[in-house]
Amino acid sequence: MRRWAVGLCALALVGVSALGQEVLNIYTAFDVDQAQTYVEEFENAHPDIRVEFVRLSAGALLARLRAEHPRPGASLWLAGPSDTHIIAAAEGLLEPYTASLGWQYLPEWAKCPDGYWSGIYTGFIGFATNKDFLEEHGLEPPTSWYDLLEPEYEFKVSMAYPYTSGTGYTRLASLVFLLGEEEGLEFERKLAEHAVHHYTSSGSAPATEAGLGEVAVGIAFSHDIVARAVGLGYPVVMSFPKEGTGYEVGAISLIKNGPEPELAKVFYDWMMSAEAQTLYQEWYRVPLNPAAEVHPEAVTAAEVTLVDYDFVWAADNRDRLSDLWQELTGF
Amino acid sequence: MWGGKLRLPPTSDPGSLTMRERIGRTGGELRRLAHDRGLLLVLVVVVALVATFVVFPLFQVFRESIFPRGQFDATHFVRFFQGAPFLITPFFNSLILGGLVALTGTVVGFTFAFAIARANVPGSRVFRWIATLPMISPPFIMALAAILLLGNRGMITQVIHNVFGVRWSIYGLPGLVLTQTLAYFPVAFMALEGVLRAIDRSTEEAAFDLGASKLRTFVKVTLPLAAPGIGAALLLLFVISLGDFGNPIVIGGRFQVLTVQAYLAITGRYNMPLGATLAILLLVPTALVFIVQRYWLSRRSHVTVTGRPTPSTAHASGPLLRWVLFGVLCFLSGVILLFYGMVVYGAFTHLWGVNHALTMDNFRYVFSVGRRYFMNTVQLAAIATPIGGILGILIAFLVTRKRFPGRKTLDFLSMMNFAVPGIVVGIGYLLAFNAPPLRLTGTAAIILAVFVFQRMPVAIRDGAAMLQQVDAAIDESASDLGAGFMRTFGRIVLPLVAPAMFSGMAYMFATCVTSISAVVMVVSARWQLMTVALLNDVDNAQLSRAAAWGVVIIAVVLAAIFVLDVLVSRLLSRRGSHGR
Amino acid sequence: MAGELLLQELTKVFFGLREQVVAVDHANLAVEEGSLVTLLGPSGCGKTTTLRMVGGFEIPTSGEIYLAEERITELPPQRRNTATVFQSYGLFPHMSVFENVAFGLKVRRFRRAEIRRKVEETLALVGLQGLGGRPPNHLSGGQQQRVALCRALVIEPQVLLFDEPLSNLDAKLRVETRDHIRKLQKTLGITSLYVTHDQAEAMAISDLIAVMHAGCIQQMGTPYEIYAKPANTFIADFIGRANFLRGRVAQITEGEMVLDLDGGDSIVVAASDGYAAGDRVKVVVRPEAVDLVGPGEGELSGAITLAHYTGSMATYQVELPDGEVFNVEVLSPQEKGFLEPGTEVGIRIHRKSVHVLDVD
Repeated sequence: MRRWAVGLCALALVGVSALGQEVLNIYTAFDVDQAQTYVEEFENAHPDIRVEFVRLSAGALLARLRAEHPRPGASLWLAGPSDTHIIAAAEGLLEPYTASLGWQYLPEWAKCPDGYWSGIYTGFIGFATNKDFLEEHGLEPPTSWYDLLEPEYEFKVSMAYPYTSGTGYTRLASLVFLLGEEEGLEFERKLAEHAVHHYTSSGSAPATEAGLGEVAVGIAFSHDIVARAVGLGYPVVMSFPKEGTGYEVGAISLIKNGPEPELAKVFYDWMMSAEAQTLYQEWYRVPLNPAAEVHPEAVTAAEVTLVDYDFVWAADNRDRLSDLWQELTGF
Repeated sequence: MWGGKLRLPPTSDPGSLTMRERIGRTGGELRRLAHDRGLLLVLVVVVALVATFVVFPLFQVFRESIFPRGQFDATHFVRFFQGAPFLITPFFNSLILGGLVALTGTVVGFTFAFAIARANVPGSRVFRWIATLPMISPPFIMALAAILLLGNRGMITQVIHNVFGVRWSIYGLPGLVLTQTLAYFPVAFMALEGVLRAIDRSTEEAAFDLGASKLRTFVKVTLPLAAPGIGAALLLLFVISLGDFGNPIVIGGRFQVLTVQAYLAITGRYNMPLGATLAILLLVPTALVFIVQRYWLSRRSHVTVTGRPTPSTAHASGPLLRWVLFGVLCFLSGVILLFYGMVVYGAFTHLWGVNHALTMDNFRYVFSVGRRYFMNTVQLAAIATPIGGILGILIAFLVTRKRFPGRKTLDFLSMMNFAVPGIVVGIGYLLAFNAPPLRLTGTAAIILAVFVFQRMPVAIRDGAAMLQQVDAAIDESASDLGAGFMRTFGRIVLPLVAPAMFSGMAYMFATCVTSISAVVMVVSARWQLMTVALLNDVDNAQLSRAAAWGVVIIAVVLAAIFVLDVLVSRLLSRRGSHGR
Repeated sequence: MAGELLLQELTKVFFGLREQVVAVDHANLAVEEGSLVTLLGPSGCGKTTTLRMVGGFEIPTSGEIYLAEERITELPPQRRNTATVFQSYGLFPHMSVFENVAFGLKVRRFRRAEIRRKVEETLALVGLQGLGGRPPNHLSGGQQQRVALCRALVIEPQVLLFDEPLSNLDAKLRVETRDHIRKLQKTLGITSLYVTHDQAEAMAISDLIAVMHAGCIQQMGTPYEIYAKPANTFIADFIGRANFLRGRVAQITEGEMVLDLDGGDSIVVAASDGYAAGDRVKVVVRPEAVDLVGPGEGELSGAITLAHYTGSMATYQVELPDGEVFNVEVLSPQEKGFLEPGTEVGIRIHRKSVHVLDVD
């Protein structure tokens, strides 16, 4: 007679069984499998700590920190362009930390003067172009921003939303630094009107999409183009705009009021180490720890023309530029 | 209840009632409540739950859209009426998409329903099973499959290109209409099958007798009789299409819709007022549709039913039509199976587009890195399902069998989420439960609450249907013999509806496991779900792995349906010994 | 365990979207301790609603209900000591007969042994001994009905409420069960309120009958009073069959009055209060309260237009000169001879059976 009730309880109990345990919660802008690499290595080095992480695009990650403030669901923010960290620091969402080992070796441009964030890698905005497409149309890979406005690429380019993705915003800001605010935004409008197949919320997706052939060109960070397309065997060729391109300093920071501040520092220190940053090889990232080994195919600053990128200005104007962008493009 | 058996005498002149009699109802019900502590307690709890988890979040969305940060600021609405493209475009796009999908989905659903219910095509059981498949899988499975098949480098696209040199783009409106039609036509099918079965065959036969041709009969008799059902299906599909989030975010391309824009505004840039405004823009048409359905369409719907369907060997269609319909159904089912087959195939490929060698890697990933997503989803859905099922029956029992002040209001409020798109519910939860006293963001509780309360209207509707099978005299006997509310509900009502409840739970579990649009707003580091993982992988263009998630989700749902099915049949067979 | 049941100005209004329906309209009723009172009326007259208010299943819009001098108007069913035998029985299909009967006792926290004893006793009382282990759906309709009765009896309620308890039984079983209920009710002395639309059932089972129509209790009386002295046309027509003749009071003498029937002779009947010479009246004549006589004899005359022979009686329709139809029932037609349609007859009215009503 009561078996149905027992059944219900059993069903409910299946769930309740797995709650809580002392763990470190991380928000990361690394893609899941990449984050998994670092997390696993970290857990090997620190068997007493278990890491739970959520992957979010940098913009979405910042949005979440704002939404959850002052009781964030994680203690550490791993990766994502420094501008988003700068905004978060300005809004009081971060905790300064200068005691980390890596603090000494970082150049001035790769760390926050007040210690709110530290750089852990750099990368450059580039074009991932599908080789089959180029062959079919007898084209060379684009080497200029203006190439994207050519009719061959009409509605065949994918790129990230500036407001959801750090990659997307770095692209927008780079164009603003390159052409001036008005011209830069106008150029983005033209891209939206003539070139864009669709926008993505994730910054690395355009590289893979170019690989899949869903689009002809994807705009993404160099390390993502290599890791997500070229390195996997997709028919993709990487190129950079000759006018100059933007770059990011990927950063790490402590989240204010995070539930596990001490554990977070352990991970922070480990991430600054040469040992950790050597793991970038698998993902073609450029480390900022001079002692870390760099993958020979990884693109370094010497190989591309860079715009004069002002991280603080970019950070300060992120919301304003994003709003203007949306007004202008309608996306 | 009184409405049924008792034919009431004609209305008396309301003027003849004394004031005391006019207020007597509420007064009497209130005094009754004071004496019925069990009922009072349950009511207080239920009302508190509904107020907290249904009304409050929705209120917060309204508040945020015009009173962000406590000050009146309707900027976004002003911008909308000024014609700002980032608000106007998605609004009209959503309406256009909804209208198209309502049409195509109803046509496909009607074809299925007519072929199965009226034309008696061979293999109707198989067709019905195929038609229910999309209801138990995450909606954006269709979009994923569409990319694999028809994307710019999809399997079919490539073949066509190689043979005919033609290329197309599936992204945007055409792809959305295709995928949403395939994903949601079963809703129309389910609604119309019942309507078509209920039409008395003798009506059609009478038309034949009077010399009408088959086509004429269909146009002049069958269609008008099914019209209210068709109307309902159109409206329902319109609303579902408007609320869909999964397909547009995967395959929308340049075609922006409200759900995706609201999602991006909030998760992407934390622009709550903008997100809330988009949510309201989404809510207005859906609410209107439900008002139309409730107060206009429902009044016309009683034309159809003339009692029990009379079994008849004469069918409304000749052999030619039957085979034509059979062919159409085979084609449509083939498309559905092809889409699902593509997902399964994709799940076993190394790297979609480059290396199609078969591998288990994606599943290894799902069960290693993604194991906790899997566990979370199954656990939370398993907890939410019985809670939601029982709560649904409890509320149905309260509003259909009990008398208390505010009964109609409770009925309305608890059914309200039916008209509220999932993404709006999600935004409401995000806004409502991020501050004390109910800070739930980041917890499992908020996901459970979304699961339970987003599905509650369906659970209540199902509960009410189950209760109709239970003679009111049974639960009245229990309280008559002295049992309080809880005992009557727990010992008499629940055991009686248990088999039906378990059947309903399978569907509820499926919708929890496959849901995305509301939960995507409230998942957290600790509590990630499979559908969100699938979404992230699609977002990252990792199609093979996304397909693997899709396969796992469908497998979980099928397993749950199977387990509950076994449970119910065992329960019923034990009942059988009791003479049921 | 008993007490008087009292309904005072009891009113129930159902509020629809656009309209209100007065189902029970200021009903007053007393059920004396130990007696059985029946609410009788056509469907929709408010009798079931009245019963449900007593049981606590409906909340009165106004008015009061007292049970053994305690006001129970708003108490929920579980808090009032009433027990109902439902039309559809309301047996718990997932429990055995024994569990069904024991349910009310378990709620009342009786000891296990006590429950067993009481249940067995009561089952024996209604003749169901030995069937305790069966699921109710394995029983016949009559047995199910007795389980329902047993379940209501076992908790020893102050009032037993019957809601058309026999309507799901076939005709023969209905009579048997009816008598069984009446016998039990009398032996146990349980105050009872009984609802039915079947006047024969009501007449057979009741101490008092309250006839309801359009939400109002129109007459309260013994079965004899209700039949012999109906308060109005509706009751006269509803209880049994009746012929209505119109006439005028010609003369009133001591204890008697003379009525001139329209289109007939005059008759002398027992005087009723409140009439004066010259008043128009309506005369109720039961079909069995006349004799058919030769044409020209009796107070009325006409031709038989329809004749049925049903064994124990013959029924005739006689068309009077003014075109009205007069129904006649003749018992033992074998004795008196069966008359064919077309026969001219006279009708002699049994004067003591005549009842006079106002013209409405």
